Amino acid sequence: MENTIKVERAILSLTQDDLAKKIGVSRQTINSIEANRYVPSTVLALKLSEVFNKPVNDFFKLSDDD
Amino acid sequence: MSKKSFVECERQRIQKLIDFRLPEVFKWVGALLVVAAFVLFFVKNQFPDSAVVIRDIGRKLFIVGLLCISLSRDKEEDEMTIALRAQSYAIAFIIGVLYALIMPYVEFGVSNVVHSGGEAYKDLGDFQLLSFMFLIQLGFYYTLKRYR
Repeated sequence: MENTIKVERAILSLTQDDLAKKIGVSRQTINSIEANRYVPSTVLALKLSEVFNKPVNDFFKLSDDD
Repeated sequence: MSKKSFVECERQRIQKLIDFRLPEVFKWVGALLVVAAFVLFFVKNQFPDSAVVIRDIGRKLFIVGLLCISLSRDKEEDEMTIALRAQSYAIAFIIGVLYALIMPYVEFGVSNVVHSGGEAYKDLGDFQLLSFMFLIQLGFYYTLKRYR
Protein backbone atom coordinates (compact mmCIF):
# COMPACT_ATOMS: atom_id res chain seq x y z
CA MET A 1 0.00 0.00 0.00
CA GLU A 2 1.30 3.43 -0.96
CA ASN A 3 -0.07 6.78 0.08
CA THR A 4 0.23 10.49 -0.58
CA ILE A 5 -0.74 11.66 2.88
CA LYS A 6 2.38 13.78 3.15
CA VAL A 7 1.35 15.68 0.00
CA GLU A 8 -2.27 16.06 1.14
CA ARG A 9 -1.04 17.29 4.50
CA ALA A 10 1.25 19.82 2.82
CA ILE A 11 -1.65 21.10 0.69
CA LEU A 12 -3.60 21.86 3.87
CA SER A 13 -0.43 23.19 5.63
CA LEU A 14 -0.86 20.73 8.45
CA THR A 15 1.97 19.35 10.55
CA GLN A 16 2.01 15.66 11.49
CA ASP A 17 1.01 16.72 14.98
CA ASP A 18 -1.96 18.80 13.73
CA LEU A 19 -3.22 15.92 11.61
CA ALA A 20 -2.71 13.45 14.47
CA LYS A 21 -4.80 15.63 16.78
CA LYS A 22 -7.55 16.00 14.17
CA ILE A 23 -8.02 12.25 13.79
CA GLY A 24 -7.19 11.26 17.39
CA VAL A 25 -3.93 9.33 17.01
CA SER A 26 -0.31 9.95 17.97
CA ARG A 27 2.15 11.85 15.77
CA GLN A 28 4.25 8.68 15.48
CA THR A 29 1.28 6.84 13.97
CA ILE A 30 0.96 9.51 11.25
CA ASN A 31 4.71 9.24 10.66
CA SER A 32 4.47 5.45 10.31
CA ILE A 33 1.52 5.70 7.91
CA GLU A 34 3.35 8.25 5.76
CA ALA A 35 6.44 6.03 5.67
CA ASN A 36 4.27 3.03 4.64
CA ARG A 37 5.28 1.14 7.77
CA TYR A 38 1.72 0.91 9.03
CA VAL A 39 -1.54 0.38 7.14
CA PRO A 40 -4.35 2.18 8.99
CA SER A 41 -7.77 0.72 9.70
CA THR A 42 -10.80 1.63 7.58
CA VAL A 43 -12.01 3.93 10.37
CA LEU A 44 -8.75 5.87 10.36
CA ALA A 45 -8.68 5.99 6.55
CA LEU A 46 -12.20 7.43 6.54
CA LYS A 47 -11.21 10.02 9.16
CA LEU A 48 -8.30 11.04 6.91
CA SER A 49 -10.69 11.21 3.98
CA GLU A 50 -12.89 13.58 5.98
CA VAL A 51 -9.95 15.84 6.85
CA PHE A 52 -8.62 15.92 3.27
CA ASN A 53 -12.16 16.13 1.85
CA LYS A 54 -11.27 13.48 -0.73
CA PRO A 55 -12.21 9.82 -1.28
CA VAL A 56 -9.86 7.31 0.37
CA ASN A 57 -8.53 5.89 -2.90
CA ASP A 58 -7.31 9.34 -3.92
CA PHE A 59 -4.51 9.14 -1.37
CA PHE A 60 -4.20 5.36 -0.76
CA LYS A 61 -3.10 3.16 -3.66
CA LEU A 62 -2.44 -0.56 -3.82
CA SER A 63 1.17 -1.36 -4.72
CA ASP A 64 2.28 -4.24 -6.98
CA ASP A 65 3.05 -6.56 -4.06
CA ASP A 66 -0.43 -6.15 -2.46
CA MET B 1 -33.55 -13.84 24.22
CA SER B 2 -33.21 -14.67 20.52
CA LYS B 3 -30.18 -16.58 19.25
CA LYS B 4 -28.95 -13.55 17.33
CA SER B 5 -29.10 -11.17 20.30
CA PHE B 6 -27.49 -13.82 22.51
CA VAL B 7 -24.57 -14.15 20.06
CA GLU B 8 -24.33 -10.34 19.85
CA CYS B 9 -24.31 -10.08 23.65
CA GLU B 10 -21.55 -12.71 23.87
CA ARG B 11 -19.55 -10.93 21.18
CA GLN B 12 -19.81 -7.60 23.01
CA ARG B 13 -18.73 -9.24 26.26
CA ILE B 14 -15.67 -10.80 24.60
CA GLN B 15 -14.84 -7.48 22.91
CA LYS B 16 -15.05 -5.73 26.30
CA LEU B 17 -12.63 -8.33 27.70
CA ILE B 18 -10.24 -7.88 24.76
CA ASP B 19 -10.35 -4.07 25.10
CA PHE B 20 -9.73 -4.16 28.85
CA ARG B 21 -6.82 -1.96 29.95
CA LEU B 22 -5.79 -0.62 33.33
CA PRO B 23 -5.42 3.16 33.73
CA GLU B 24 -2.02 4.68 32.94
CA VAL B 25 -1.15 5.10 36.65
CA PHE B 26 -0.90 1.29 36.96
CA LYS B 27 2.36 1.45 35.02
CA TRP B 28 3.86 3.16 38.07
CA VAL B 29 2.07 0.81 40.46
CA GLY B 30 3.59 -2.10 38.52
CA ALA B 31 7.05 -0.53 38.60
CA LEU B 32 6.76 -0.05 42.37
CA LEU B 33 5.73 -3.68 42.81
CA VAL B 34 8.71 -4.84 40.74
CA VAL B 35 11.06 -2.67 42.82
CA ALA B 36 9.45 -4.04 46.02
CA ALA B 37 9.99 -7.58 44.69
CA PHE B 38 13.70 -6.86 44.10
CA VAL B 39 13.99 -5.44 47.62
CA LEU B 40 12.46 -8.66 48.99
CA PHE B 41 14.86 -10.76 46.89
CA PHE B 42 17.80 -8.87 48.41
CA VAL B 43 16.58 -8.92 52.04
CA LYS B 44 15.50 -12.56 52.06
CA ASN B 45 18.98 -13.71 53.06
CA GLN B 46 18.75 -11.57 56.21
CA PHE B 47 15.90 -13.77 57.41
CA PRO B 48 16.99 -17.37 56.81
CA ASP B 49 13.99 -18.82 58.68
CA SER B 50 11.45 -17.19 56.39
CA ALA B 51 13.58 -16.92 53.25
CA VAL B 52 11.30 -19.23 51.25
CA VAL B 53 8.15 -17.28 52.20
CA ILE B 54 9.82 -13.95 51.39
CA ARG B 55 11.07 -15.35 48.05
CA ASP B 56 7.56 -16.58 47.17
CA ILE B 57 5.99 -13.21 48.07
CA GLY B 58 8.69 -11.46 46.03
CA ARG B 59 7.99 -13.70 43.04
CA LYS B 60 4.24 -13.03 43.22
CA LEU B 61 4.86 -9.27 43.51
CA PHE B 62 7.22 -9.42 40.53
CA ILE B 63 4.65 -11.20 38.33
CA VAL B 64 1.76 -8.95 39.44
CA GLY B 65 3.95 -5.87 38.85
CA LEU B 66 4.86 -6.98 35.33
CA LEU B 67 1.18 -7.78 34.66
CA CYS B 68 0.18 -4.26 35.77
CA ILE B 69 2.80 -2.70 33.48
CA SER B 70 1.73 -4.94 30.62
CA LEU B 71 -1.99 -4.21 31.01
CA SER B 72 -1.79 -0.48 31.64
CA ARG B 73 -2.77 2.05 29.02
CA ASP B 74 -0.25 4.23 27.23
CA LYS B 75 -0.30 8.01 27.40
CA GLU B 76 -1.08 8.05 23.68
CA GLU B 77 -3.16 4.96 23.04
CA ASP B 78 -4.33 4.50 19.45
CA GLU B 79 -4.91 1.67 17.00
CA MET B 80 -1.22 1.38 16.18
CA THR B 81 -0.17 0.88 19.81
CA ILE B 82 -2.96 -1.71 20.14
CA ALA B 83 -1.61 -3.52 17.06
CA LEU B 84 1.97 -3.35 18.39
CA ARG B 85 0.85 -4.69 21.77
CA ALA B 86 -0.93 -7.60 20.08
CA GLN B 87 2.23 -8.34 18.07
CA SER B 88 4.36 -8.26 21.22
CA TYR B 89 2.02 -10.72 23.00
CA ALA B 90 2.17 -13.08 20.02
CA ILE B 91 5.98 -12.90 19.90
CA ALA B 92 6.24 -13.41 23.67
CA PHE B 93 3.96 -16.46 23.47
CA ILE B 94 5.96 -18.11 20.68
CA ILE B 95 9.34 -17.36 22.28
CA GLY B 96 7.95 -18.48 25.67
CA VAL B 97 6.92 -21.86 24.23
CA LEU B 98 10.34 -22.33 22.61
CA TYR B 99 12.03 -21.29 25.88
CA ALA B 100 9.94 -23.78 27.87
CA LEU B 101 10.85 -26.55 25.42
CA ILE B 102 14.55 -25.83 25.04
CA MET B 103 15.69 -24.23 28.31
CA PRO B 104 15.36 -27.33 30.57
CA TYR B 105 17.74 -29.21 28.25
CA VAL B 106 20.17 -26.28 28.18
CA GLU B 107 20.14 -26.10 32.00
CA PHE B 108 20.56 -29.87 32.19
CA GLY B 109 23.50 -29.80 29.76
CA VAL B 110 25.21 -26.84 31.41
CA SER B 111 24.87 -28.32 34.90
CA ASN B 112 26.38 -31.57 33.59
CA VAL B 113 29.34 -29.70 32.14
CA VAL B 114 29.90 -27.49 35.21
CA HIS B 115 29.30 -30.12 37.88
CA SER B 116 30.83 -33.46 36.98
CA GLY B 117 27.84 -35.50 38.20
CA GLY B 118 25.26 -33.04 36.92
CA GLU B 119 21.72 -32.52 38.08
CA ALA B 120 18.56 -34.41 37.22
CA TYR B 121 16.43 -33.00 34.39
CA LYS B 122 13.74 -30.65 35.70
CA ASP B 123 11.04 -28.57 33.97
CA LEU B 124 10.83 -24.79 34.22
CA GLY B 125 8.85 -23.32 37.08
CA ASP B 126 5.86 -21.06 36.48
CA PHE B 127 7.73 -18.01 37.82
CA GLN B 128 10.66 -18.49 35.46
CA LEU B 129 8.42 -18.95 32.42
CA LEU B 130 5.93 -16.17 33.23
CA SER B 131 8.59 -13.61 34.09
CA PHE B 132 10.49 -14.51 30.90
CA MET B 133 7.34 -14.11 28.77
CA PHE B 134 6.42 -10.79 30.41
CA LEU B 135 9.94 -9.43 29.95
CA ILE B 136 9.95 -10.49 26.28
CA GLN B 137 6.49 -8.93 25.76
CA LEU B 138 7.43 -5.63 27.39
CA GLY B 139 10.82 -5.56 25.67
CA PHE B 140 9.33 -6.17 22.23
CA TYR B 141 6.44 -3.74 22.82
CA TYR B 142 8.69 -0.83 23.76
CA THR B 143 11.20 -1.70 21.03
CA LEU B 144 8.45 -1.85 18.38
CA LYS B 145 7.03 1.42 19.70
CA ARG B 146 10.41 3.12 19.56
CA TYR B 147 10.99 2.05 15.93
CA ARG B 148 7.45 2.62 14.67
